[in-house]
Amino acid sequence: MNSLDLIYMGIKNLWRRKLRTFLTVLGVIIGAASIIVMLSIGFGLTQAFEDQLSQWGSLTNINIYPKWSDPGIPGGGNKEVYLNDEAVASFKAIPHVVAVNPIVETYGTVINGKYITSIPIRGIDPKVMQDFGFEIAEGRLLEVSDEMTAVFGGQVAMSFYNPKATVWREPKVDLMKDKLMITLNPNYGWSDPNLDTVNYKSYKIKVAGILTQENYEHSYAVYMPMADVKKMIKDKEKAENQKPTPNKGKDEYQNITVKVDDMNNVKEVQDQIKALGYEAYSLNDQLEAMKQTARSIQLALGGIGAISLLVAAIGITNTMVMSIYERTREIGIMKVIGASINDIKKLFLFESALIGLLGGILGIGVSYLLSFLINRFGGSFGNFMGTGLDSKISIIPIWLVFASLAFSALIGVISGYYPARRAMKLSAIDAIRTE
Amino acid sequence: MGDEKIIALNNVNLEIYKKEIVCIIGTSGSGKSTLLNMMAGLEKPTKGEIIVNNMHLENMNEKQLTKFRQKNIGFVFQSYNLIPTLTALENVSLVLTFRGVPRKIRDKKATEMLKNVGLGNRLHHKPSEMSGGQQQRVSIARAFVGNPKIVFADEPTGNLDTKTTFEIMDLVTSMSKELNQTLVIVTHDNEISRYANRIFHMRDGKIENVEELLLKGDVVN
Repeated sequence: MNSLDLIYMGIKNLWRRKLRTFLTVLGVIIGAASIIVMLSIGFGLTQAFEDQLSQWGSLTNINIYPKWSDPGIPGGGNKEVYLNDEAVASFKAIPHVVAVNPIVETYGTVINGKYITSIPIRGIDPKVMQDFGFEIAEGRLLEVSDEMTAVFGGQVAMSFYNPKATVWREPKVDLMKDKLMITLNPNYGWSDPNLDTVNYKSYKIKVAGILTQENYEHSYAVYMPMADVKKMIKDKEKAENQKPTPNKGKDEYQNITVKVDDMNNVKEVQDQIKALGYEAYSLNDQLEAMKQTARSIQLALGGIGAISLLVAAIGITNTMVMSIYERTREIGIMKVIGASINDIKKLFLFESALIGLLGGILGIGVSYLLSFLINRFGGSFGNFMGTGLDSKISIIPIWLVFASLAFSALIGVISGYYPARRAMKLSAIDAIRTE
Repeated sequence: MGDEKIIALNNVNLEIYKKEIVCIIGTSGSGKSTLLNMMAGLEKPTKGEIIVNNMHLENMNEKQLTKFRQKNIGFVFQSYNLIPTLTALENVSLVLTFRGVPRKIRDKKATEMLKNVGLGNRLHHKPSEMSGGQQQRVSIARAFVGNPKIVFADEPTGNLDTKTTFEIMDLVTSMSKELNQTLVIVTHDNEISRYANRIFHMRDGKIENVEELLLKGDVVN
């Protein structure tokens, strides 16, 4: 018997019992849809966690800090490592690393007429700004040719205040237009200038742009070219009469950020950096824990869905067994006139697989509809978590569609296996005697 | 039934030759249907040999028996045993479907066969829309369409009136002669047995005597 005839005959048999076929398929639809929708909520949750975390910083970044060493304990075989250009080069050599961003950070005050703000000042390599997800809201990012030029974090404008005012008023600053000065004097605006023993320099700065407010990590800082920040620090040390310490055996950078090509490679790169002797952190650490939570929730939800699919599977078996009772005589006749037991088995398995597959296809349709309705009228996880992010509650990945198609057909075959075996084993002679 | 032993057949020995028309006649319970089922590979004997065309049926498994029936055997039953949801044409061509014959060819053959049995105008009727005689004609067409070596007919006219009985018997014997097939008829009706070359009389699971009516063909075993 060729497959085309088998398919034709199977469809015909199902069509003969339209109502029963439909009801059985309906069971599978409910089962498949409940699994898909439940899982999709789990995926939505995971996505919401990811969105939330990426607000705190990029998920593909690894932050590296110098190893905190306890002088009391003699270095247990670990060689001393520092955050310097050598380290930058070694990070660049690690596979999957896209960009390396060493940061020199100091603290200073930005002066805008009578308003000031105290803020971290970070030296950065202008070339990597794009790679590290700096997004400009106004103006432009730093360029290699820039000197004493700054890019402000998105929230900096709001942090200006008048130190002499008794009542707080909203500062009137326009960072793009105002004339700005910067100083590394840690007490600017608070100490009496006449009592100052140290003569800190103030620098005029130009403003290249202002960043968006999306990323908390970048929001409250001033970014300037590396060389400028290094020079200001040197000036400060000179003014404070500190002896410039030699570069060797010292951390040149406060931290180094490494960008990895893909979220899935972060862990691997992070481990390699740790193996080199640095402290490395990434949001991935938190993400893992959050994903774990999402996974458990998803598992619980999926379990509920699985129960309905199990019930549907029993429904298929029931339908097929009943169908065998009705068709006993027919099966007998087919056997006597030359149907092989394999043909009989295949026919029944095909019918039950088709019920499963049909249920799966329609179940996917129903799932998409439900998913749409949930997302449309159910608000978003962002609202629940108070992040204000518009992440969807229900997300159906495309692989889930194909997986559930294959799975529902498989359920059909499994459910049909017992009835098919029964049909196969029917004695032809007994079967044709059945009236 | 329980553990009680039922002996349907006991010490039956018979040989049927190629192209022969034989009749097995006996009262109900004489074991004639059991004998037919065994010769057709539908039932297995607990003891003894069944040899058809040099093949031992008693040693075959279900799969081999299916293959054997598909290639060698055609059936005509008392209760027609047509599939009620299929049309006459579909019922006949179903035999060829299981052999993997493409649709066009099998429909052509089935149509031809139905015309031979005089049902050229009933191709697309379902069994419920036909008389008993017509249904039995469909069943005869089905038995012969696969060009089997042996056709078994189990009380083929049991449900038919006298006139139709003769029509059907004429049809089935003339077709098997025409196609050079062996025909084995099981019946309790003496009139029908007149169509055969040889008649085996059965009683209580044994063959009582063999009556020869006409010349015989080649030996098959």
